[in-house]
Amino acid sequence: MSKNIRIMIIDDELAIRNTIKMSLESNGYTIGEAINGQEGIRLVSEFHPHLVFLDLGLPDINGLEVLKELRKWTRVPVIILTVTDDEQTKVNLLDAGADDYLTKPFGSKELLARVRVALRNVGVIEATPVFNSDDLEVNLSQRKVSVSGIEVKLTATEYEVLSRLVRDHGKVIPQAVLLKQVWGTAAEDQSHYLRIYINQLRKKIEKNPSEPKHIITESGVGYRII
Amino acid sequence: MKFDNRPDPDALLSALEEERKNEGRGQLRIFLGMSAGVGKTYAMLRAAHQKFKEGLDVVVGVVETHGRVETLALTEGLVILPKKKIEYRGTALEEMDLDEVLRRHPDLVVVDELAHSNVSGSRHEKRYQDVLELLEAGIDVYTAFNVQHLESRKDAVEAITGIPIRETVPDSILEVATLVELVDIAPTELLKRLKDGKVYLGDKAERAAENFFKVDKLTALREIALRMTAERVDQELQKFVSTRSEGSPWQTNERLLVALSHSPYSEKLIRATRRLAYNLEAPWVALHVDTGLTLNDTDQGQLVKNLNLARELKAEVITTTDVDVPSAVRRICRSKNVTQVIVGRPTRRWFRDIVEQGNLLDRLVQESLEVDVHVIRQEGTSLKRPSVTDEISYYRSKTGFAKYWYTFCSILVVSLCGGVLESFIGYRAVGFFFLLAVIIIGMFGSVGAVIFAAGMSALIWDYFFIPPKMTFAMSNSEDFLMCIAFFVVALITGFLTNRMRFHEKVMREREERTNVLYEVLQDIANATEKSDFLNKVTLRVGNLLSATCGVVLKSTNGSLEFEDARAFSMRLNEKEQAVAQWCFENKKSAGWSTDTLSQSESLFLPLKGTSETCGVFIFQPIKKTRKLDLEKESLLFSIVRQLGVSIEKHFLTKRLIETQRLKDSEELHQTLLNSISHEMRTPLTAILGAAAALENDEMTGDAKYVKEVASELHGAGDRLNRVIENLLDMSRLNSGVLSLKLEWHDFSDLLSVVVKKLEKPLLTHKLNINFLENIHLVKMDFRLMEHAISNLILNATMYTPVGSEIKITQKKNDTHFVIEIEDNGPGIPEEAINKIFDKFYRVPGSPTGGTGLGLSIVKSIIELHKGNISVRHLQPKGTSFIIELPLEKQPDLPIENQS
Repeated sequence: MSKNIRIMIIDDELAIRNTIKMSLESNGYTIGEAINGQEGIRLVSEFHPHLVFLDLGLPDINGLEVLKELRKWTRVPVIILTVTDDEQTKVNLLDAGADDYLTKPFGSKELLARVRVALRNVGVIEATPVFNSDDLEVNLSQRKVSVSGIEVKLTATEYEVLSRLVRDHGKVIPQAVLLKQVWGTAAEDQSHYLRIYINQLRKKIEKNPSEPKHIITESGVGYRII
Repeated sequence: MKFDNRPDPDALLSALEEERKNEGRGQLRIFLGMSAGVGKTYAMLRAAHQKFKEGLDVVVGVVETHGRVETLALTEGLVILPKKKIEYRGTALEEMDLDEVLRRHPDLVVVDELAHSNVSGSRHEKRYQDVLELLEAGIDVYTAFNVQHLESRKDAVEAITGIPIRETVPDSILEVATLVELVDIAPTELLKRLKDGKVYLGDKAERAAENFFKVDKLTALREIALRMTAERVDQELQKFVSTRSEGSPWQTNERLLVALSHSPYSEKLIRATRRLAYNLEAPWVALHVDTGLTLNDTDQGQLVKNLNLARELKAEVITTTDVDVPSAVRRICRSKNVTQVIVGRPTRRWFRDIVEQGNLLDRLVQESLEVDVHVIRQEGTSLKRPSVTDEISYYRSKTGFAKYWYTFCSILVVSLCGGVLESFIGYRAVGFFFLLAVIIIGMFGSVGAVIFAAGMSALIWDYFFIPPKMTFAMSNSEDFLMCIAFFVVALITGFLTNRMRFHEKVMREREERTNVLYEVLQDIANATEKSDFLNKVTLRVGNLLSATCGVVLKSTNGSLEFEDARAFSMRLNEKEQAVAQWCFENKKSAGWSTDTLSQSESLFLPLKGTSETCGVFIFQPIKKTRKLDLEKESLLFSIVRQLGVSIEKHFLTKRLIETQRLKDSEELHQTLLNSISHEMRTPLTAILGAAAALENDEMTGDAKYVKEVASELHGAGDRLNRVIENLLDMSRLNSGVLSLKLEWHDFSDLLSVVVKKLEKPLLTHKLNINFLENIHLVKMDFRLMEHAISNLILNATMYTPVGSEIKITQKKNDTHFVIEIEDNGPGIPEEAINKIFDKFYRVPGSPTGGTGLGLSIVKSIIELHKGNISVRHLQPKGTSFIIELPLEKQPDLPIENQS
């Protein structure tokens, strides 16, 4: 089935394109390549990829601009490749509609994991009401959470935080977004709310809260659930 | 004078010229004449032609030919700049286009009629100021004027010709000049030329001949001109000799002081002193003593004019506050080592002498034994006294009608009391009540009120108390004498008490001024940021002097930064910007109440430091009609001066930090080249080696071999990445511009992130993490702290044997949140323990793979969080790193409904 999945790489560095191509092709994906922003935008409309890798530092237009251009007409998942690990840049990218980001250098395992997460949402218009991951099960329609089959009692706010993460599972949710959607606009910079609730949630749903497997912290950016 | 040592005049002149050139200023050549028509313009244009022939770029800025054909012919061949038209009260007037000359920047410009006053609306009030600016810009100037226009000779010429002279040039212009050339012809020759119509045309010539052009007058003028030129030449020589041989610019030990007031007569004193000083080649001081007299606008204007004149004539102008003029003069004389004092003739009336305890001249002569006292002669004009009312009004205070009303009421009350008591104590004793009342009024009221009280009480006493009552007549002469004596005593004591009070007021004002200055200094000293004290000081000055104040600073590229949007910065329109720019470039004040660009609504003062101008202070008075009085002006100037020095200091500190940082980064750079190249090349070699190994066809079939190569590649890649990450961190921390993104974070969460990131290196070690029972939030920059902690843990994995234990403990004490990272490895050698946080320090003999940057990065990050890090040995073996972060009050949480 991977054969039918097309992935577009927009990056001016041949080495990066080759590395990604090698990893992805060996997993059966079909690859398209563009070496600058203009070409990238054009090829996305012709190639109809299921996923786009977009480098931030392109020779002609800034990757962020390419992303904004793409977002005008397509909701294709976009994973940004970047060399900076500056939080603000990442938050900006997520705000502008990126689905995920990968900081160079990255390993092929990480690359493939991100591809799988990004593609999971492809073709699924209505999110399934049940999220399953290992021992964790979250049923959004019944508002039920269970670990290894045993139901876990969550407070209303804890559930709000968890369900927000689950609705876009696999994707990074910036902390400002979480705060705004759970506590309202006024709470946007009250980051400590989130710290407390994530801590409580982990205690309830993680086997070992000090080595979380489900709720992953993305340094300085936000959280994702896997 | 050492005549034997006199250098050759030509050599001297060229030496002087050379000196001027080195200063980057233009040279000024002045063509001086005794009167109109001697041929100054002609001579000047001929000289200009000469220079033109020599190949210099010569332009004519302005030349007045007065229709003289010969002169007109001489302008041919030279470039004449078109004049600038300035609209003034409906008529268009023409002036030299200063900006055009500056823009064109010729080698030499001819500017005729130096004494000319520019049309209001020009940049400068006087043409000589235009010339000074041209010189400042490095343009040579040829100019011409008549001796009668020279400030110090004005009086003499007026006395000779009887014609008032309005346009003057300060004598200092002669000092600026490289060459003063006298254009001289015999008076008879001049008269002949006048007759021939070569000087003035038509009936203008006739009128001139009647009024001015007489042989005796011309001869006198010629003498002045010749003598002046001779004096100047002599002085140049002397100065040259003295500077070369002794190093002191002054020939004598004399120092002159002129005491000036708001009197127009002071102008003469100033000119006379300047003449004396010039001839003695002595420095001179112009002193004004502010006794707190209330001056009306005319007097205030005259005083400012006098002071400006003194300043123009290169006096050191001192203003001091004192109630007693002679003692102030003595004080300044002592502090400035003055040997000769010049004063005017006393003009005031007797009662002021009583009030002020004798006149200046008498007291100076009697009390100052160490100085010569000159009294300057008065030619022609008779001594003109100020009117009596004016003299009395000097003492009036700024109180209104209310004081008189209160005075009236209190005298009435005293009269009534007197009426009641008269039968017991007699009418004479009542007089003492009145006297007491007048003295008390003197303590609180104004001088007017004292006079009023003295008069009124004398009259009431006479009318109601002295027999025969109810008449002003007195029955015996004793009473008459007593009444008169009463009036005089009341008046004098009243005056004296009033004066005492005034003295107090002066002291208080002086103290206030000192206070303001002190507060400004405090503001500056307490502020760490430039913008802090600038805001405070501009506000303070604004409130104090009822004005809006602002500052425009110099930007890093050296020009004024008008777009600066900070609070102390003022929004300026284009015109104001131009004034500010001028003020900044010429380092002179401009705008309102100055001679330059006086049309502007604000006063622009350059903020001068010791070596550079840092910006412009803008003072926009709320009321524009009245000039600032001296006190306020000097206060403003001293604040601005202080501000200039402080800003410069801040600029310098900033630059120092910048240089230090550059130096540091240079050092870093150097060390990098040495140490990093090794650190980078090692993994690179491994990568290249692995690539070569993979090219080997024979071995690629062996899966185990390929796996080995791959893991080698992986390791080398990770190592390279670590080096780069550390370098990036270091340069970011080093740049000093890093701002922390402080947010509340769960430290346990951070540890889990780090542990996940270091999954691979930690595989070989046992990890033991002890969390706190309850969640504890710490305000920190997550990413930076993550780097710090991961550096520490990574170190522990790298420098301890496989299988060692790494223990991470979180603790809380009263003041700090503590993280301990312990290992049971071999430990750090004793001698290295103090150095491990230094940049590029690596413990000798430690395994390869580090840059020596890791721990110094950790330390910087922890210190940025106001925490500290220490290291200690563990028993029996191992190392412990202890991080302490200040404990902060935990934030509040939203209340939640349980569901």
